Amino acid sequence: MAQAEVEAVGVRPALRAGRRRGRRASGIARQRARAGIVLTLPAFAVVVALLIIPIGEAVYYSMTNWNGITAQWVGPRTYLNLFQSPTFWRVLENNGLLLLALPIAVFIPLVIAGMLHEHVWGWKVFRSLIFLPTAVSWVVIGIVAMQVFAANGTVNSLLGALGLKSLEINFLGFEYSALGAVAVTFIWSMVGTNTIIFLTGMSTIDPAIYEAARLDGAGRMAVFRHITLPLLKRYFQFGFVITTISAFTGLFSLIFIMTEGGPGYGTTTLEFFVYQQAFAIGAFGTGATVGIVLLVIIFGVNLLQMRILRGEN
Amino acid sequence: MSLDGGGAAAPLETAARGRMGSRRGRPSLARRLRRDPGAVIMFLVLIVVCLVMLYPFAFMIINSLRTETQYLNGSGFSTSSWSGLFSALPVGSELLNSTLICAGSIAIILIGSSAAGFAFAKLHYRRQNVIFLGIIGSMMIPVQSIIIPEYVNLSNLGLVNNYLAPILVYSALGMPFATFLMTVFFRGLPDELIEAALCDGFGYVGVFWRIAVRMAAPALATVTVLQFIQIWDDLLVALLLLQEPANRTITVGLGVISSGRAVSIPALMAGSLISALPAIIVYLIFQRYLISGLTMGVSR
Repeated sequence: MAQAEVEAVGVRPALRAGRRRGRRASGIARQRARAGIVLTLPAFAVVVALLIIPIGEAVYYSMTNWNGITAQWVGPRTYLNLFQSPTFWRVLENNGLLLLALPIAVFIPLVIAGMLHEHVWGWKVFRSLIFLPTAVSWVVIGIVAMQVFAANGTVNSLLGALGLKSLEINFLGFEYSALGAVAVTFIWSMVGTNTIIFLTGMSTIDPAIYEAARLDGAGRMAVFRHITLPLLKRYFQFGFVITTISAFTGLFSLIFIMTEGGPGYGTTTLEFFVYQQAFAIGAFGTGATVGIVLLVIIFGVNLLQMRILRGEN
Repeated sequence: MSLDGGGAAAPLETAARGRMGSRRGRPSLARRLRRDPGAVIMFLVLIVVCLVMLYPFAFMIINSLRTETQYLNGSGFSTSSWSGLFSALPVGSELLNSTLICAGSIAIILIGSSAAGFAFAKLHYRRQNVIFLGIIGSMMIPVQSIIIPEYVNLSNLGLVNNYLAPILVYSALGMPFATFLMTVFFRGLPDELIEAALCDGFGYVGVFWRIAVRMAAPALATVTVLQFIQIWDDLLVALLLLQEPANRTITVGLGVISSGRAVSIPALMAGSLISALPAIIVYLIFQRYLISGLTMGVSR
């Protein structure tokens, strides 16, 4: 390093002057900074051009009444109009109902991870198989789920076999049962991801703590409740946030395949509403407004998590 | 949990190995089950869980091996949907389109994220933190919020229906998390290594390209696997940016056909299996990297 520094300073006398003024910007530091900027540039350019500028444009579009042909500036009133539209609240209700699936989508993987962590016979194979669906597209999952919940599908045959023929319905044919079918598929899809998150968290817990608890005579359930769960808090939060964000922004393919948002607005969530408004109806202005509302919600979820994390530290 | 260095999966595996190691001369299954009835119950529950998780795969395989009438009757087998698959659905060209788009986006993501990750970890410059937070923070942007301007901009550039359009958008969507992952990895490289290379006469860019990138293989693999699965499986972006049937990716092709509801279910199942296969193969080979990438987010 010293050698390179001497060389660099020797080549650039101007920098030496800077140094004499007390600034510690040596040639090497400047060289390093320049290399840093050059290497950051490609990623920076991609993110600014394709993520950050579009956000600005989306905010602008969200305040126009652009319908695909003509666009007029309306201003912040577009948000007021959106909040006064009953359809918007119907769609938001679907998002709210899907959030009811969150505890289940976190609890089931927690139990599965707890069992895998006991390292029962063949647990590595179980782990691989349970995580496998994570690699599969929501489109493929949706295609299968559509058949599973169809009038002559798996769920109805199971109900029939259990003697509950009166409960057999065409699940995707009614608003709330269709949303329920989407929610169940969503829970199923989150099992792999959340199980792996919790299992990784459990593997970071010092085995000595378990040994100590066992010596004290604690049973399996007691160990899980009083040792594993409290030490898992951080991973628990992470799983919760990932699941919440997926519920808001990850279900487009599933809804597109299974129900196309219907029947009526029965399964239209905010993210699907953006697509519907902009690309099916041509109401680009309204679509952008909904998109910004979605963005604000996602930022809120993230801020909440950061605040909780900071509060703990 | 130590997450510097490429092996976020390492703690998981060392923990596992430690456990297995401590179990000297593994007792037979039957004896272990007799000693511990709780383990038997858990074993059985895990089998049921696996059956539920694998059900869709069984469903696809069984029903792809039927004709339309056999599917409705629920009995009988035939390979007709497989032999007729390539004429019923343009699977071949769609697989090629998916591959091209994945390759293009992943190339851009790898170059951009490794360079920026190295800069954030090792090359300090003014306002670096602001830029870092800006890039990492854009991880939060949902694609639905920007898809309208994205579509407008790319169509103004005449890029709609060009492979470049989804490639660019996927690159941007993947860049923030990939950059985060590479930064965490490069922070784990010792400074001495870089200083030694500088003494050998490499410039900083040379150190990055000749030395750091070559050591980053595990992190680059993690980024590749995560992005491959994400891009291969995506519907929305490719659906909107590639509107000609000839350009469709396999996932979009399936999505459009299934929502048209005109295709036979067995053919659809065969197509679904074909589309899922590459991602499953990648998952089975590179499972470790996928898991390490997913859990890396916890260290935020």
